[in-house]
Amino acid sequence: MHQQGVAAFPHYFVGINSLAELATRQDRVCVLNITGGESRTVTPVSHTYSGGNVVCGTAPGRSGTVMNTPKGNIPVYGNIAEAMEAGHKFNVVVIYLPPSGVRDGVLEALRINPYLKKIVILTEKVPVHDARIIRSLGQMYGVDIFGANCLGLADAHNRVRIGGALGGNAPAESLRPGSIAIFSNSGNFTTTIAVYLATAGWGTTVSISSGKDVYIHYSAAEFTHAFHNDYRTKAAVLYIEPGGYYEKDLVFEKPVVACVVGRWKAKLTRACGHAGAISGSGDNAMAKEKWFMEKFGVDSIFTPENPVCSKKGAVVINIAHLPAAMTAVMKLNETMPDFKPEGNLSLKCWFSNTQNIDLPEHLNPPLVRAIAPYDKQIEGLGEQVGGVFPRQSMKDASGASMMDPKTQVTHLHGTSVLDASTHSFEENLVKSLTREYPGENGAMLANVVLNAYVNQHGTFGLTATDVARAAGNSPNTSLCAAVALQGPDLAKPARQAVGALVELFKKSGLKDPEKGDFDFSAQLQQAMAGETRNLLVSEAECNKGNIMLDALQARGTRSVFVDFVKALAQESGGRVRAQVVLAAVVTHLGWKPLMRKRITTLTMKNMPWHFRIFSTLVGAAANAEQHTNEHFCDVTNEELISDWSFTETAHLALFGTRPNKGELFALSILLGLIVSNGPGTISAQGPKGAVSADGPEAPERVQINKGYIGFLSHTGYAHGGNGFEAIAFLLERFRESELADPGDPEHGLNLKEMAASYAKEYMVYKKRAKAEGEISYAKIPCINHPIFKGEEVNFDPREVFVSELLKNQGSYNVFLDFYHELVQALYTAGVSSNVYCVNIDAVIAVILLKMLWRPYKDRTISESTMETAAFTTFLFGRMVGTAAEIDDHTNRGRNMDTRTPASQCSYVG
Amino acid sequence: MQITGMYWGSKLLKFVDFPTSEVLGPEASGDQIKELIGRWGEIFVKPMFKGGVGKKGKSGLIGKANNLATAMKEKERLYFAEHIHNNVHAKAEGVTFEGAVPAEYEVYFSITDSTKYRAPVITITHHGGVNIEELPPNQLAVIPFDPLTGLKGFVVSNALRKINAPQELISPLVQNLPKLWELYHYYGMTTLELNPIRMMPAGKGRLLPLACDFKCAFDADDPNWKRLGLPSDLDASSYSDFEQEVNALRTYQGQSDVFVINPQGTITAMTFGGGANALVTEQLGDSATISSDFGGNPPYDKMHAISRIVYKYWLAQSNVLFIIGGKANNTDIYETFRAMADALRDHFHSAGPQPLYVVVGRGGPNLIRGMGYLRDTLDGLGLPYQMFGYDSAMSEVVNFAQSVDKWMKAGGRAMVARSMGIS
Repeated sequence: MHQQGVAAFPHYFVGINSLAELATRQDRVCVLNITGGESRTVTPVSHTYSGGNVVCGTAPGRSGTVMNTPKGNIPVYGNIAEAMEAGHKFNVVVIYLPPSGVRDGVLEALRINPYLKKIVILTEKVPVHDARIIRSLGQMYGVDIFGANCLGLADAHNRVRIGGALGGNAPAESLRPGSIAIFSNSGNFTTTIAVYLATAGWGTTVSISSGKDVYIHYSAAEFTHAFHNDYRTKAAVLYIEPGGYYEKDLVFEKPVVACVVGRWKAKLTRACGHAGAISGSGDNAMAKEKWFMEKFGVDSIFTPENPVCSKKGAVVINIAHLPAAMTAVMKLNETMPDFKPEGNLSLKCWFSNTQNIDLPEHLNPPLVRAIAPYDKQIEGLGEQVGGVFPRQSMKDASGASMMDPKTQVTHLHGTSVLDASTHSFEENLVKSLTREYPGENGAMLANVVLNAYVNQHGTFGLTATDVARAAGNSPNTSLCAAVALQGPDLAKPARQAVGALVELFKKSGLKDPEKGDFDFSAQLQQAMAGETRNLLVSEAECNKGNIMLDALQARGTRSVFVDFVKALAQESGGRVRAQVVLAAVVTHLGWKPLMRKRITTLTMKNMPWHFRIFSTLVGAAANAEQHTNEHFCDVTNEELISDWSFTETAHLALFGTRPNKGELFALSILLGLIVSNGPGTISAQGPKGAVSADGPEAPERVQINKGYIGFLSHTGYAHGGNGFEAIAFLLERFRESELADPGDPEHGLNLKEMAASYAKEYMVYKKRAKAEGEISYAKIPCINHPIFKGEEVNFDPREVFVSELLKNQGSYNVFLDFYHELVQALYTAGVSSNVYCVNIDAVIAVILLKMLWRPYKDRTISESTMETAAFTTFLFGRMVGTAAEIDDHTNRGRNMDTRTPASQCSYVG
Repeated sequence: MQITGMYWGSKLLKFVDFPTSEVLGPEASGDQIKELIGRWGEIFVKPMFKGGVGKKGKSGLIGKANNLATAMKEKERLYFAEHIHNNVHAKAEGVTFEGAVPAEYEVYFSITDSTKYRAPVITITHHGGVNIEELPPNQLAVIPFDPLTGLKGFVVSNALRKINAPQELISPLVQNLPKLWELYHYYGMTTLELNPIRMMPAGKGRLLPLACDFKCAFDADDPNWKRLGLPSDLDASSYSDFEQEVNALRTYQGQSDVFVINPQGTITAMTFGGGANALVTEQLGDSATISSDFGGNPPYDKMHAISRIVYKYWLAQSNVLFIIGGKANNTDIYETFRAMADALRDHFHSAGPQPLYVVVGRGGPNLIRGMGYLRDTLDGLGLPYQMFGYDSAMSEVVNFAQSVDKWMKAGGRAMVARSMGIS
């Protein structure tokens, strides 16, 4: 049952008599599923390249809309009938439907449109079941079908492409008019072959991507017939893969170069790549090579070393040999290439980094200037400073943090919290924004600028915080007041200065700002000549700026940017303000990651603002009375800036003392462990929501300080403040003891007995509670874990890691020891069926309690102060992760992307 | 998915009421086997292979027994039998016991889709039970038919007349063979082969066709075979864990075809496009860990997920991560490169850094943005790399990747490790 088409095919229908009829300027196209993912990008390019050949498209539910293209709008209808009722006439249907819809799409097109001549099916993975029906329908209605799983047709002479994306997003670049027709089983190689042929001066007439499903609806036989009848086409390239007998009986009347690939596929037991490229013994690649060799009368494969060919053609097994083979065959036919060869196929390395490894010469090819327009784009890449992250919905997503559900370990910018705990607070703060840890010099620079803004004496923010505290607020609530007053204008001069420094140095070739021998005379001149000088230098004396510069010198820091602003001030007779020192330091800290595009210029510009907030949060944690004009917690400003690390300052703000080595180490561990718990945690949702609400698509308007308020408001007695629960539990156990120093292994307490006695007590309590039907009886904090359970003896690997760290430092903690005795005692007493793990939260509690024990015993702090200290410590640590989330969301997020659609919300009233 | 043997074959044939030999599975008890022997006089003991396995008979993998002791002995011999055919190694997991059907004629019958006719065809001969490729053409009928009307009795009848089949065969086959079209067409098969169908005397001079061996292949892109309710692990053994994990991501948007080439390979190629897949895999040979085709413009999420799986399975042993494709028509290079780069960074974060050399050859939309992103990521990870433009011959880029692999094996890997600070 088939219509009668061209006479050469009496047994089945073929409508195309010449390749010239394949893709013409007269063809009018309707695209099914025009708004689908692939068509959305491809159709506008095809339409424009082809002079506007798409008359309409369909997309269920989108009737009445249009697709915008440079060649005008394409109207969209719900289905073909609707499009035809609207008066559209077309002879070609292009199908981008999902596989399950292809057969019905074909049937609809055939039934409704009497003018239909061609159907091009782009869809991959059309079931064979549907393909056999489609074939039969095409025959019955007398319509040529192309594909499926193809990239359509293109005619370089007519400048028309129908269907898929042959020639990519710039078809004219690859599809150069010439005399060769390409028939290819591979869509990608259709274009690639056209590009390769141009290197020998051969252009194309038509390019056909046939697809390589089991059913190839427009196959090599139909192509060959039309190829013979196209006067423009002097020769053809056939790119053929194993499987199927489509090419076996072909007889060529014009020269052909056949590229047969896939000998290895004989080993396959199922298709990999093209669905139809799986062969039996008679249609594998070797067999197909033989078919073509017999047709051409050659006895071996053409290679540049062994250029075997005849007037009829040549067989290659590497597409790179196609241009040479075509030239050789055509030479025997006394035919010259279509145009001057363009380029060649030699190796052209566009990007290279050998990482200074001593490579053999052949592995270190020289960089080659890319062909146009890529050369300019690569240059542009050099112009672009910093990374650019594509924007996407960042609801419950983060480019900064992730928690591994298996290990329960959170990573922040690729560093696990366990590793973060081995770094200082200031190092973690810097890394939260720069994504890389600073070296020793970087940490010293950071300490100077962070400590410089800790003292909040005389600020409204500090006063407001104190008033809030006095009103009975929790520490997070009170600190909001101080942060709210760190508005955009406060950090503006520093942000502008960062922008100016980046602009001045971005093309300077400066790689490492720590190396002080960099010659910045050109940048000095440039700065003096323009407005930049006024952003970096002021006329008035700035006391804090001077203290900071002195501190930097006293600490022996090295920074090109600090040297530069100093030199600029000196050259132009001005002063360096504190804000500019801050700007120079953050530019230094972010320079290398900026140059490597790991961070954006936006992050760079926002860094001073973040830094100011870090300082504010730590500073305002201490009561107003601890801030005087000259001192912070009784330490002079000069000393703090020139001699203290920011971790020490945090300890000072929390506990009123400078920590000893052990305390410093413990605090660093503590703060590092709690930097983040992934984007799903409430304290991350807060800042993300705050950024989202400001609209990160206009990132300059995002209020960074409001992000921190979002963080603070999303912590509370249950999240952040709950660390005290474990402390309270331990206090209960140790309150009456004579424990003097929790760090002394010779504490004289019988922990085993304490644990056993409590285990018994707990057993009694638990039994009674259960008997009374109290399901939510009090659980012992910080033991057991939903993941780390089920073994005879269980361990939380995170706790093990930190305990080892502490042990290696010679740091003993009686409370941790007690916890380990307790889990054993609970098992012995029959409370637990196995030995529970001591979880990571216990580590946090015991470190904190150890710090607070002495003042607690001395009655210099109350339990409520201890609770505040515990909560505030959490805020300090989590501030690191917050900075990373705010910055990440500002760089990647979309406006209001954290909202939940109404359909996903539930009403429970 | 492919199924061979009567254990599952008989169950599938029951869907369309096609008569089969009597089959017991490996769980059959001694009494059941004894009764089977009692009914048929003799039984065949056949190993059960998962997936498609050919030429079992010629390899001595079909046992015969006319008593329980022999049957049990054959069971023991064949239960875990190993078989190599066409480079495919298979190991049996169990045996079937099948009643030996007495017959005068053995018929070969198959339905498949022919690329010659671009239509479904039946292949039939009454000289069955042998390798049909060895038969002279006049003893074999290959007849195409219209899928819109399906396999009708007259197609079978004409085919049998064409090869001068004995009269007594025609009626029972015309009655029964068209049933198989239902199974073939509506349950997503691409091949269905019964060889032999033994024509058993059924009284009054009539013959009854009983299928005595079964082979079929299903179309991975056709969900219809899922309606058969076959166990999900039936064909799982022919897929590695890696392949199964990637296959779980199989959607129509973007390719995700993978095939393990050499579990000891040292070049892991992320290949884009069916053509590149054919060329690259061929040239890399046994250096390649996998053959892959990730073309078809996969979205970021899918590409990221695929990359993570590939890295998880293959990166540790690889010297070269090879990203290769032609000049893409539609695949967004920025999106795919960003996904691969991000997944690489994630992998290094979770699995730790490792010495690796990255070689890239690609063209297509957003090429430079994509290469730029990958470059920045690789710089950040401290990995050496070279990226080649699409106007470099793909085969030359493959050669380059192989040279790098050779150098890595000859001490380069240690040098890269040193430069990355890995001891």
